[in-house]
Amino acid sequence: MLPWIVTLAAVAVSVWYGVRAYQAGRDAYAASARAELADRQARAAEARTLALTEEIRQLARKRIPAAATALSHRSAPVPGLREAGDVEGDAARLLSDAVQAARTAILEERGRVDAAARSAMRGTSAQIQSLLNQSQHLLHELQHEYDDPRILQLDFRNELALRRTQATAVLCDAWPGLARQNSPLVEIVLGAQSRVGGYERIRVANHLRQERLALVARAAEPLAIALAELMANATAYSHPDTEVPVTVQQTAGRGALVLVDDAGIGMDDDALKRARALLSGPSEVLLTELGDPPQTGFAVVGRLVARYGFTCHIEPSPYGGMRAMLRVPAHLLTVMDDDRTLSVLAPSPVHARPPGRDGGTAGGEARGDGTARSDDGHTPAGGDGDRDRGSDVRRAGPDVRRAASDVRRAGGATGGDAAGGAAGTAGPGRPAAPADPAPAAPAATTGFSGPAPAPALPSRRRRARLTAAPEAAGPARTGEEAEEAVLRTPERAGASWTALQRGTLDGRSATTPPASSTDDQGDDET
Amino acid sequence: MNPGPGRRLIPAYLVTGGRSAPSGPALDRLAVLIRTDTDLPTGTGAEQRRLCELLAPGALTVVECAAHLDLPAGATVFLATDLVASGHLRARPPIPRAGEIDRSLVERLLVGLRSLH
Repeated sequence: MLPWIVTLAAVAVSVWYGVRAYQAGRDAYAASARAELADRQARAAEARTLALTEEIRQLARKRIPAAATALSHRSAPVPGLREAGDVEGDAARLLSDAVQAARTAILEERGRVDAAARSAMRGTSAQIQSLLNQSQHLLHELQHEYDDPRILQLDFRNELALRRTQATAVLCDAWPGLARQNSPLVEIVLGAQSRVGGYERIRVANHLRQERLALVARAAEPLAIALAELMANATAYSHPDTEVPVTVQQTAGRGALVLVDDAGIGMDDDALKRARALLSGPSEVLLTELGDPPQTGFAVVGRLVARYGFTCHIEPSPYGGMRAMLRVPAHLLTVMDDDRTLSVLAPSPVHARPPGRDGGTAGGEARGDGTARSDDGHTPAGGDGDRDRGSDVRRAGPDVRRAASDVRRAGGATGGDAAGGAAGTAGPGRPAAPADPAPAAPAATTGFSGPAPAPALPSRRRRARLTAAPEAAGPARTGEEAEEAVLRTPERAGASWTALQRGTLDGRSATTPPASSTDDQGDDET
Repeated sequence: MNPGPGRRLIPAYLVTGGRSAPSGPALDRLAVLIRTDTDLPTGTGAEQRRLCELLAPGALTVVECAAHLDLPAGATVFLATDLVASGHLRARPPIPRAGEIDRSLVERLLVGLRSLH
């Protein structure tokens, strides 16, 4: 029995040991595996840290500076993560967030600095603008007192400076600096032309259907500024020998369109895209984006487009350079009252010009709108020649005016005789075949002192156009004598005195040689 | 220093066409302008046309034209000089103011004439 027990115990012990040994072996294996795992994890962590460090280095040295550069240079590339696989999602996102935060901070700071610069320039340019306006006023007064053409040049320089200052102010979100009344569109275009260096190359063609089309007060000066900038671009970027055609026309939708063409160097695609972006009226234009020196032209137009509702488009021109089109919507347009006269410089509409207008006709016989247009410079659009005449004379003074009306009344009384013909048809044109050529005698000389029937003082006035040939003096005299009893008018007195003078001159010239010799002798004797 | 009644829209220097002085003999502001019978070419500017229309009924001085055109006399001279050069206007110098003749000059002239005989 005992050996069985011993054997059993030995087996049990050996099994126990076997189990222990097995367990120990398994533990050792697990430990080594754990150690290996830990080692691998440590290496991986180290690699991650290294990669993260590299990414942070990339962030600090490349990505943030590149992102900052890209804010001002849109085409600059912004690098991303170095190796996207090495950094897990969270870290990569946080790194990108860092770039974004840096961008936002830079943008905010840039906006703040730009706003500060703008407000500083706004204040300065407002003061300069006010000073230049004052000197312009003084120059305007000087021009009317002195004839020196250098004053005109000085005025031009002043205007150029004023345009630059005003454009800068507008770019800095300032008010245009002055308020106007409703102003005719043609005059605004001319005003814009006058603000540009090289304005003599600009040719304004007026294709308006309504000549008195005007801009409402609040949009008048802004349009002048915008057009001046477009014209300045056109003249600056085209050869000095080429012309810059400017066309003013009305669009179908009751708006108006101003085209500024040039035959210049044109623009490449990038510049064109940039210009269109500026002209579309972005909500904010930064001074720092305009280059050095700043190219303000399109930016200024863009500001005005955004604020006043114009539309501006630019495209290659059939003239070779660029064509800028500025459209004025109908709600900014109005029509001038009839009592406001247009400037003499305003070009007349090119269509529907009366056929005989070239010779300075459109006389007393009221040629419809021809007369009205030819007189727009100095009279309200009058009906007939008599009214034109009257308002012309009105400028010369009340005396003359009374004399004119007297003459006209006299002309009516005598039933359309020579004097009536002269006064009635002496509009700004040639009288249509006066019944009697007497008043058309050489009337170019000044002054007369015939005893007029009217109590008016003798004063200077315009007479009938110089049409009659000198040989008409003969019939003039007979006509004069026939009506001597009826009236004596200034024209008739002048004609008779002229005839007398001509007669005596003729007599003298016929006997010149003896007369001169006797004169000599006479002198000698005294 | 008051700024005056606003900024004028169209300045007078526009008629000079960028020149610093009139191209031609200087006209006095009292020079008399006379329209000739020539027709204006079609490309004539509005202001030159208006000046010719103004002168069609008779002669006026430069300064009177300036008043009618609402331009300074100095700018009107540019217009008139151009039209004189192109033959559409004639200009006559102003009549000089009649002054006292220097008596000593007349006496010397008389003495000279007598000494000729």
